[in-house]
Amino acid sequence: MERNGSTISTNTIVKLTPGDIFDKYRGTFYTLVVVTILLIAWYFAANRIQNTLLLPYFQETAREFFTAWFDYRIMSNLALTLRRVFTGFLYAFLIGIPLGLLMGYSQTALQAFSPIMNSVRQVPIMAWVPLSIIWFGLGDGPTVFLIAMSAVFPLVINTIAGVHGIDPNYYNAARSMGASLPNIIRDIVVPGALPSILTGCRLAMGFGWMSVICAEFIATSAGFGFLMVEAQVRLETAQLYALMVMSGLVGFVIDKGFLIIEKKLTSWRFKDGFVGS
Amino acid sequence: MALLEVKGVSKIFTRRKKSPHIVLENMSFTVERGQYVSLLGPSGCGKTTLLTMMGGFSTPDAGEIILAGNKVEKPGPDRGFVFQNYALFPWMTVKENILYSLQVKKLNKQEQNKRLHELLEISHLFGSENKYPVQLSGGMQQRVAVVRALASRPEILLLDEPLGAVDFQMRELLQEELAALVEGAKTTVVMVTHDVNESVYLSDRVIVMSADRGQIVKDVYIDLDRPRDRQSEGFKAYVSELTELVRQAFREKTVESQPGFVQKEVNDNMQTNFTNAYNRMTSRYTSASHGRVAK
Repeated sequence: MERNGSTISTNTIVKLTPGDIFDKYRGTFYTLVVVTILLIAWYFAANRIQNTLLLPYFQETAREFFTAWFDYRIMSNLALTLRRVFTGFLYAFLIGIPLGLLMGYSQTALQAFSPIMNSVRQVPIMAWVPLSIIWFGLGDGPTVFLIAMSAVFPLVINTIAGVHGIDPNYYNAARSMGASLPNIIRDIVVPGALPSILTGCRLAMGFGWMSVICAEFIATSAGFGFLMVEAQVRLETAQLYALMVMSGLVGFVIDKGFLIIEKKLTSWRFKDGFVGS
Repeated sequence: MALLEVKGVSKIFTRRKKSPHIVLENMSFTVERGQYVSLLGPSGCGKTTLLTMMGGFSTPDAGEIILAGNKVEKPGPDRGFVFQNYALFPWMTVKENILYSLQVKKLNKQEQNKRLHELLEISHLFGSENKYPVQLSGGMQQRVAVVRALASRPEILLLDEPLGAVDFQMRELLQEELAALVEGAKTTVVMVTHDVNESVYLSDRVIVMSADRGQIVKDVYIDLDRPRDRQSEGFKAYVSELTELVRQAFREKTVESQPGFVQKEVNDNMQTNFTNAYNRMTSRYTSASHGRVAK
């Protein structure tokens, strides 16, 4: 009853009319309208320009796009890239979350680390490419490093913000109930900062996904980014377009996945307010 | 021997580029077991500062506070503290909130459930134990906050303006709920308030503090039968007596600073109301917008 979230359902049973169903998917519908208009515009523009190198025909790109999902070479490269992203993200997570919790909880740690962190994070991610190749050679090493590098800062910053956002009375309340420092970390700091940490994860994953494609342009001879460079070199613009659309879609799906995790882990935020009494 | 002894307590706030502000100076009184004591006074009289020190969240600059023979030095489960905004942990259910002190103490499940049952009974919260705080009305949140503080069977219950954020109509209703709850728990209470009516309705004894260094203007015992009748002559007499005393407490401040204090009182209330409304709105907004994004 509460889960459905509508106050109506507690009082009366309402049949869903087509209008209600439309209301539920209103956003999706608008998105589809805009996408359709853009695709039609593309179709006519491509027919008019008649230069497949600049703007490939819509039909051709669509064909490339759909066959790509069944192409072993493309799929295995996509899997490789995804593995790199998740590995890099994992490193960033393991370093970023504890560091963020420490810097959020301890003023001393914040003062000690934040100037260094705020300087290091100003270095553009692409500027790390030459150094990462020197350090790790070519292949997985530099890509994973670059992903971790671009993902760690949003994680640290959002974790700090999450800890700082905790009502000081929560600490006082916990202490007055006899909580020790480990209790406070487990029961107050982590759950209190969790919404912000999960936002940090979404941002970090987004940055990681963006930087992996860049890294693969340069530092490797395999992966999704490498396929794009290859398509460009072979003047297969239609395939390049298809791959770009795919990378956007994959990033979108990962983000959705994180949103679902966020809703599961912080379900207390999504309850309806003020039921009963 | 008295349960709680406040012995010559002073508190001074140092201020940057200003002379230090003396909040409390040499304050002393005792509270007997089972008494319901209100600290009444204008904003800025140091009553909340005193309560915070009783809670152990800050320490007196001079003097000491003794609870059941032990000096208060840090927060502990022998004192149940109810915060003005209740400070219920939003990520824990009602049950988890109430049992937190017992869970920290690693009491076994059976004893925890027994205690939970008792507490749900006195607070009439049966059926809500698996809800989250956001799902509760203000009155229910208050009851959760009080029984959470009572769970560890503290010697004393400390209430920091427990109804400060509640609108006028709700206030009297919640005062009745609070009175019944505290009576059922048979505990000693020290409550901070600036509402004269509330102090007369709830307390056995009202300590009126002045705005100047928290001096005790008067210590008034409320000799009225419970439950109290707000319409009775006796009740009204206490209210007018205490109202006059609070007014006097204001006046004890030097004349020049008086308008400033009146202004501050108004601002504080406005700030509280504003903050509460703002928090309510933002929490609703974020959950609503997240819900929409996720669909």
